[in-house]
Amino acid sequence: MTTDTERTHRFNELASAYSTDLYRYAMWICGNDALAKDLVQETFLRAWRALDNLKDVAAAKSWLITILRREYARTFERKVPKFTDLEKVVIVDNDELEPDELTERDLLREGILKLEPKYREPLLLQVVFGHSCSEISEQLGITKSAVMTQLFRAREKLRAQLQRDGVTGNVHELF
Amino acid sequence: MSMNFSEFKKLIGADPRNKDPETLRARHSAPEFEAAAAEAEAFEDKLQAALRIQPPPDLLSQIKDISRQPDRQRSWIPLAMAASFLILVGAAGLAWKQSHQWDSVESYVADHYSHDGTAVIERAKDGISDQDISKILARLDATADKALSGTIMFIKFCPTPDGRGAHMVVSTDQGPMTIIYMPNTQVNDGEMVKFDQMHALLVNLEHGSAAIIGNQSQNVESLAFVVKDSLKTGLVGA
Repeated sequence: MTTDTERTHRFNELASAYSTDLYRYAMWICGNDALAKDLVQETFLRAWRALDNLKDVAAAKSWLITILRREYARTFERKVPKFTDLEKVVIVDNDELEPDELTERDLLREGILKLEPKYREPLLLQVVFGHSCSEISEQLGITKSAVMTQLFRAREKLRAQLQRDGVTGNVHELF
Repeated sequence: MSMNFSEFKKLIGADPRNKDPETLRARHSAPEFEAAAAEAEAFEDKLQAALRIQPPPDLLSQIKDISRQPDRQRSWIPLAMAASFLILVGAAGLAWKQSHQWDSVESYVADHYSHDGTAVIERAKDGISDQDISKILARLDATADKALSGTIMFIKFCPTPDGRGAHMVVSTDQGPMTIIYMPNTQVNDGEMVKFDQMHALLVNLEHGSAAIIGNQSQNVESLAFVVKDSLKTGLVGA
């Protein structure tokens, strides 16, 4: 039988392991830091209440994402609010970027926000959480082939935006 | 059958970190494949860096607090519930903002109040903690003296013509009244806007402005005086 201490320990491990990525994911889907924080807290509140239902630790990440996505859908009814807080968000590892690289990063971020949710969400699951195409397929309830198409198109759109805005390079010319 | 270049580009375009044997074989089959894979990975590094944002420093500790309350009646559960409502209203508000463009502050105030003014007053009956009031105001670089904060029944973020602001309901001896704080908007100080059965007095503050809204039998001027005196704004730049 799980004691309260074990339960708490288990919960804290989940929080330590996944809260950052969940916040990033929430931030990029809802576009607002305060709302993203609330979404993540609500996710963990629900996770705490239902922790005993999580039998397989390996499934924890997907379980938490599912909770967060449901919470997001329930709250926002799939309407994405305007991204208002980007300028306030601290970006890690930006100290050593050259001006061109900073411009490119900013354009990429703008591009990500402009992506339709059907492209953005699989991309976030893949890049932020490291999900495989099969895992994304399972998470989103679409075929693996559709996932791959959306991922390919998402990157194509981002590259196209960089090209349109004058940031070009060999990496973009290949596609 | 081996992968052609077009198939390979599509595959790494969808999954640049793909390391399955077939993809690796294709990658090493010709220089153009190798170059395409390397450059897809380089793009992926940039994409990963662009997505890497830091959570608020207190997020993890607040999450861990969920399990620290022995009776599981966590102090922030009401906050979470309030936050859920704020998200709901905030999201609806943002969606509402996206579908509305205001040609003036006056039309914004009338439109905003018509949108959710009555519902927020209704919701204000549930109350809100001093901590939440301070927290929301702080995020807008503002703070309220007790003369005002002690009367705030409810507060939430809301869209304004120039970014995020706060929608407050305050308790007065004339009944609940509404304040919309617009941190980045200037108004014609002292202008009265009338709409439906309501009127709103627009006042400039040290930074930004506020609309004091009440029904036409309520004296908004007296509340405006309190707001001007008690709502300290633009603290970051102070």
